[in-house]
Amino acid sequence: MSFREKSAWVSLITYGVVFGGYFFTLWQAWDESYAQGLSIGLMVGAVVALIIVAIVLNTVIALFHPRTANAPADERETAIDLKAERIASYTLSIGVIFLIGALLIGWNAFLVANLLLASMVVSELVKALAQIAYFRTA
Amino acid sequence: MAIENEIRRLRFENGEMTQQALAEKVGVTRQTIIAIEQNKYAPSLEAAFRIANAFSVPLESVFRWKDG
Repeated sequence: MSFREKSAWVSLITYGVVFGGYFFTLWQAWDESYAQGLSIGLMVGAVVALIIVAIVLNTVIALFHPRTANAPADERETAIDLKAERIASYTLSIGVIFLIGALLIGWNAFLVANLLLASMVVSELVKALAQIAYFRTA
Repeated sequence: MAIENEIRRLRFENGEMTQQALAEKVGVTRQTIIAIEQNKYAPSLEAAFRIANAFSVPLESVFRWKDG
């Protein structure tokens, strides 16, 4: 498994665990006034946790790939990145279009903000999954 | 895939050159060499020339178009 495939796994796991935890906690505490107060601290915590976990895991896998960790992506890896990014952008666009509609019909802004965050997280998960699938098959 | 290659045979004829050694000569990862060798990925023209150059043979000795 190449460094970049492992890095895609790291992205999949960190986004899944950190934001899975964030949304699960928020869902359990779903009472609008309470959840809104909780959400800001949780969101900051989730972003900080994401950064720390991603740095630590990427550093660990880089130690096992000293030659390739700092090397630029080759042409196949670049092509895989672009294809995965395209699929992720479609995913995010669908979420954003849906949420624009939700705002226009008067959905709660706090709920829409979190659904927007969920769209971004899902698009990152889709990107990582697409990268892994392409690394395995292309 | 419509492009076939002789990389496995050429590696054998060049002293069992490893995929890693070829990857380093071409400037790609070993996984990319594996994907090319297994006809899962068609390399760019530049990478194809680099592979041929690594074996000191013309391009058509490495890659060929498969009709049909």
